[in-house]
Amino acid sequence: MIEAQALSKRYGAKTAVDAVSFTVQPGKVTGFLGPNGAGKSTTMRMIVGLDNPSGGRVTVNGRPYAQHGAPLREVGALLDAKAVHTKRSAYNHLRAMAATHGIPNSRVKEVIELTGLGPVAKKRVGGFSLGMGQRLGIAAALLGDPHTVILDEPVNGLDPEGVQWVRHLSKGLAAEGRTVFLSSHLMSEMALTADHLIVIGRGRIIADAPIQSIIDGQGKARVRVRADRPQDLLGSLAGEGVTAQVLEPELVEITGVDPRRIAEIALRERVLVYELTPLQVSLEDAYMELTQTEVEYHSHDLPTADQAAAPLEGR
Amino acid sequence: MATSTSPAPAQQRPRQNRDSGSGVNFGRVLKSEWIKVTTVPSTVILIVSTVVVMVGLAALASWAISITQDEIQSAGAPQGGPGGPGMEGFNAAEQAWMIPSSGLIFGQLLIASLAVVLIASEWATGMIRSTMVAVPKRMPALLAKNVIIAAIAFVIGAGSAFLSYLVAQPILGGDLDFGLTTDGVLPSIVNTGTYLALIAIISMAIGTLLRNTAGGVVTAVALFFVVPLIIVNLLSGLADWIPDAARFLPTNAGDQLVAITTQSDALTQWEGGLVMGAWALVLLVVSLVVTQKRDV
Repeated sequence: MIEAQALSKRYGAKTAVDAVSFTVQPGKVTGFLGPNGAGKSTTMRMIVGLDNPSGGRVTVNGRPYAQHGAPLREVGALLDAKAVHTKRSAYNHLRAMAATHGIPNSRVKEVIELTGLGPVAKKRVGGFSLGMGQRLGIAAALLGDPHTVILDEPVNGLDPEGVQWVRHLSKGLAAEGRTVFLSSHLMSEMALTADHLIVIGRGRIIADAPIQSIIDGQGKARVRVRADRPQDLLGSLAGEGVTAQVLEPELVEITGVDPRRIAEIALRERVLVYELTPLQVSLEDAYMELTQTEVEYHSHDLPTADQAAAPLEGR
Repeated sequence: MATSTSPAPAQQRPRQNRDSGSGVNFGRVLKSEWIKVTTVPSTVILIVSTVVVMVGLAALASWAISITQDEIQSAGAPQGGPGGPGMEGFNAAEQAWMIPSSGLIFGQLLIASLAVVLIASEWATGMIRSTMVAVPKRMPALLAKNVIIAAIAFVIGAGSAFLSYLVAQPILGGDLDFGLTTDGVLPSIVNTGTYLALIAIISMAIGTLLRNTAGGVVTAVALFFVVPLIIVNLLSGLADWIPDAARFLPTNAGDQLVAITTQSDALTQWEGGLVMGAWALVLLVVSLVVTQKRDV
């Protein structure tokens, strides 16, 4: 279990993390989602004591990370795939990490097999691909068989097979009752992996809820309707705070009301309805909706010369 | 997925390793740092080349001394006088006793580089984050690194000095060869190790504070070589206190530590050792305190 209370980090005048409070529960995969520069990595670095908070505190299993006697057995963290001496082999890197906790070499070999590093374990890390580096980082995180696993952008640079492997690994660890805290800026990956989501934007928590409720709550119900006289239907729905988009003479998309209510109105108004399809809101849509006011660097389609020369927005 | 709000059953907790034998202790951190030093090729190469350079320099020095001695004798014999003019200051025997420590002048350069590289390369590669996640109290990791590098430097220094002593005897020949029991020779050999150990600690502190390999090596070389040279050659005439103060520079003090005989106005062997030790201790403490507070 990870608990952050009013956790802040400031670099000079810039606030990277702004008094965030959250709890990461054991037994499920918690996704930490946010655009680049939102404060995900900084928050994770504070959890394992690499950065000192400017304010607030964060504990893992009830204590600050540095106060655990066997930190690698409490928390395994992949923070930066390149946190390895490039001239050392993967095997020796893991051996040096393991030695600090008296973790036996048999466990080192175990995590090498588990992460599929076997064929390259004796090679220098400097020659590793990004994906291999990620696997080594995950191997290091699992060395101490920890209760809490923190992975910062673990699927970065992995091939599709590797992405799937991380997904299964995360779910497997959570199913064993461990705390799994996973950051990503890829919403689609989170939709497949996470049970619970904490969304962060510009250093603030925007949402902290089960993934299903984020999908349900943010994206309002949207329904595609084909009917004989859609205008009559829309007229009767007007009082219920809906918005509608007429796509074809007999095809409309209605937002803000559920399909059953539409069917009721149609029955009452005796409008023939021959299609009534609820449109699932993707997590991606929900995410964009959550963060569109919170991203630090907006991109523009086809910027003009004026815009390109203008200072960054959102400052 | 939808059931994620229900807490995990307690019996599903993973097996726990919280027994006291499973955590971080200083011995384990030492072992980890030892693994790190011995598994990067460049450090091993630096260690080997330091020994080769130190013993090689000592062999050259012995050769030079024995040639000089021969020249003095051949020049002195036909005249029948007590040594030629200009040669009065040359005491070949005393020079010979300094042979074991004569490799220091370059040995310290290599050891300083090794110490800076050991710590600064961790920042350059990002390894420092792995180190400090494994040992989040930080101080044990840095102390262990210092102990390892100081021990390596001591063994290299004392070992090379002893090897140099052995190599020098046949080169010096029957007139100048000397035994370990000769006054001051054995302490000088041991203190060659002490000198390098202190150089290593000072250099590692510099590397820790600067977190940059090139900057660290340049700063260490400046402190050990350039500053003493500038003071001796350029500044010492400006004021009386300057050469006085220069005695307290780490390498100048260290020279007294390995010296066989010390002049009356210089620091004694003990004083030299203590001054150099003070440099190492102060810089070590500063580097520990700064590392403790700094973000990694």
